[in-house]
Amino acid sequence: MWEIIKNEWQFFARSRTLLVTSLGFVVVLLLTIFLGYRQTHEQTLRYQSAQKHFRTQWENNREMHPHGVVHYGTFVFKPANLSSGLDEGINSTTGNMLKLEGHVQNEITHTEASQTQAISKFGKLKGSLLLQYIIPLLLIFLAFQSINSEKQSGRLKLLVLQGANLTKIILAKTLSVSIYGIALLTLSVLAYAVLNLKTLNAEIISRTLFLFLAYCLYYFIVSGLTVYLSARLKNTALALTSMLGVWIIWTIFLPNILLSSVEQWHELPSRVAFKKAMRDDRSNGINGHNSSDGRLKELEKKLLAEYKVDTISKLPFDFWGVVMQKDEEYGNLVWDKHFGNLRNVLAQQKQSYQLGAILNPFISLQNLSMGFAGNDNKHHQDFLLQAENYRRGFIKKLNDKHAYGSTKTDTSDWDVKVGAAFYKSVADFEYQPAKLSSIIPIYLIDLVILIFWMLLSVSLLIFGSKKIQIL
Amino acid sequence: MKNLSIFLYEWKHFTRSPFKIIAVLLYLLAGIYGLHKGASLYHKQHAAINEIEQKAAKEKQTCLNRYQGDSLVPSKEDWVNLAEPNWAIEYTQVYHHKSPSSAMVYSIGQSEQYGFSKKITRWASPYDDDLVEEIANPERLQIGTLDFTFVLLFLSPLLLLVLLYNIKSSEIEQGFMALIEVQSVSKNSWLVTRVLFYFLLVLFTNLLLIIFGGLQTGVFTAANKAFGQMLLYSFSYCTFWFVLFFFILQIGKSIMSNTLKMIGIYFVFAFIIPAAVSQYLSIQYPTNLMTEFADAKLEKRWQLWDKSDTLRLAELEKLFPAITKSSLLKNNDKRSTAIQESTSALENRLRKVSIQPIEEENRIKNAFISGTFWFNPVSFFHNRFNTVSQTHFDNYQNYRNEIQYLIDKQIGFLISEMWNDVKVDKKKYLEYDQKLKRLN
Repeated sequence: MWEIIKNEWQFFARSRTLLVTSLGFVVVLLLTIFLGYRQTHEQTLRYQSAQKHFRTQWENNREMHPHGVVHYGTFVFKPANLSSGLDEGINSTTGNMLKLEGHVQNEITHTEASQTQAISKFGKLKGSLLLQYIIPLLLIFLAFQSINSEKQSGRLKLLVLQGANLTKIILAKTLSVSIYGIALLTLSVLAYAVLNLKTLNAEIISRTLFLFLAYCLYYFIVSGLTVYLSARLKNTALALTSMLGVWIIWTIFLPNILLSSVEQWHELPSRVAFKKAMRDDRSNGINGHNSSDGRLKELEKKLLAEYKVDTISKLPFDFWGVVMQKDEEYGNLVWDKHFGNLRNVLAQQKQSYQLGAILNPFISLQNLSMGFAGNDNKHHQDFLLQAENYRRGFIKKLNDKHAYGSTKTDTSDWDVKVGAAFYKSVADFEYQPAKLSSIIPIYLIDLVILIFWMLLSVSLLIFGSKKIQIL
Repeated sequence: MKNLSIFLYEWKHFTRSPFKIIAVLLYLLAGIYGLHKGASLYHKQHAAINEIEQKAAKEKQTCLNRYQGDSLVPSKEDWVNLAEPNWAIEYTQVYHHKSPSSAMVYSIGQSEQYGFSKKITRWASPYDDDLVEEIANPERLQIGTLDFTFVLLFLSPLLLLVLLYNIKSSEIEQGFMALIEVQSVSKNSWLVTRVLFYFLLVLFTNLLLIIFGGLQTGVFTAANKAFGQMLLYSFSYCTFWFVLFFFILQIGKSIMSNTLKMIGIYFVFAFIIPAAVSQYLSIQYPTNLMTEFADAKLEKRWQLWDKSDTLRLAELEKLFPAITKSSLLKNNDKRSTAIQESTSALENRLRKVSIQPIEEENRIKNAFISGTFWFNPVSFFHNRFNTVSQTHFDNYQNYRNEIQYLIDKQIGFLISEMWNDVKVDKKKYLEYDQKLKRLN
């Protein structure tokens, strides 16, 4: 079989058309990788500058009452991942800026896509665009040509007559074509690695290896199916157009239809309904800014009884600081319930969509590519959760300062202030992308489906080749 | 006459090719699905707007009841006094919606990237968090919705490709070409007639779909111009691909090479050029993180509130010279409250100043994109379809401008009423409610 692969590659090398096409494609591929790197770099610079700006502002903030700072809040920004240059996933459709403040869990706003008129339905010219859409198409033509030329010249017939095993020939041709795709993939990954040499670490390398594996499997599936159809169908035009039809349905038609349908099966609430439900639930809690609130009176009664005093001014802490934290904690329960529901629905949508890969392995490839590149919805939700946990931490710190920061116990002390030392003591927000170990279980199903498709292709090649009429 | 027979004979070719029939049926199905998606979003947005308006009407009635006899100071909010213009205006239920056009059935466009309903208050801004897009799966947004525009832009060239790929080259490969040349008027005229058949078939399919879509949302009564524009643009778009593919067929001699060229050119126009423009743009102008706007809402806002009443009054007098003649200036308590409430005008100015560079950058980016349309026809038509269905960036920019106009109007109104010490009754409240909604 090795001999056939070697011959096949020698044949590829002798084809001027293929050489010129490959050379042109490699130039475009390298340019794309470089531009992807540049774009991520520029975006990172903007992100760092914005983050630094708000951190400086935070550290140099005026002296204020802790509750003033709760309302002042701060902003955090979603950074570009290192692998964004290869596959930016959902980044252009999610917002970038998130205000963190008391009493409310804000939503991330101002998406890149909302800043201009429509440009590209298939995203930017990133490595993923070429690796997912164009290389498979090249493989289809190459695989078709590889079998078709043998059939038309009668060489295939001759080889079989001379005793060569048809299954072996077909498998070898599939491997030869796949290797062409894998070579282009390797070049892309290496070029990206060289550009990012300084920031590479074990986590990124492992992620890239999984990404690499996903593409290899997909390339084998596409090559295998094309080789099978080209060998099996007598009408060569029909073989090529059938495979092109499959490519169109897989890459353009089905992902769109399946994900839109999945959104209808597991419906997300409308924004109006979502906000109303949160507002309704929120109104059942303590309102720290409304002294006539019934639940607040209850808390006051409870604390007075607990500390055996008759007025809040005799409590050993600032009552209003405790109220604010209670208010916040109730709010947290409400946000957890409603945002948690959203996350659950999104997870259900994802799972259903992943199952769609049984019909279309391209879905698995896209999922794995953006997932291992760290730019899928899971990573986005992780960013939001980390930002929310950070918000809760720093609001609690401020409320505690409000409640227990004063030495005075005779009255509610709205004069207590926090200053530079306090601001510096609050660590800056730092987003930690999810670890690979937490990503693998989510995408295991995609890997399994790709392997299933690969085995299906191999079976078709092995068992289907026995039915091919050559003579 | 010969041309007519060739044309009619092509129908037989077509009906004997199950692959081509399946392609047309799939295209029709995708078109119907896309139109259904557009119609569904149109109805959904209408329903959401109705719900908001109903809630606003309820709130308004509660306020009117207060003016009719209930207390003007709500028991749970003892700091509110509806006789004061600032509170009366705060309690008006002024919403500004971007009502979906019935032509949205044709293109969802950028509608999922923006909100379509906004409560107008003096503290509001067109870039507020509550104007964020509808809740949607970000991965679905990234892949894009299969709306009718998607079908036209990306599937119609593929349908043309499937219908045309083997014309002429199949005859050459089977060795019939010489026979056809002898029997036909001319090779070119034979080719044109055959290709024209499929071109008309695609146009007819599009026409059916556009009519079907129009019936879904009442385009013919509410936006009949949109119907004509959709026809015109879809015709022009298909013509563009038709011409390209025709030349490939004319020159090409083998099915394989023709298919490769057709799909290659499809890739270049539908994928590579728009993606390259998008990539170049994001390198030249990385995503705006809106720090100026965030600053205006944070530090600069606090700096404003740190200023003394006197300084803020001086700034207000520059913005609204009529304040200098107000009788409130002589009453310390009332003057202080009026300055406090009017500071929203200074905040609004801060926000407007911060928005300017952001919108200027957006304008430059959009001008750049428009500048690429001569070699980027897919993006050109994409934006044309969005314009027809009023889901283009510019439609949402206009909506933001209208929001800003209503905010300015509300603030101007508040300043005038407050500094003239107006007392609000039911009639006045209704007048506010009406005037503050109007875009003139």
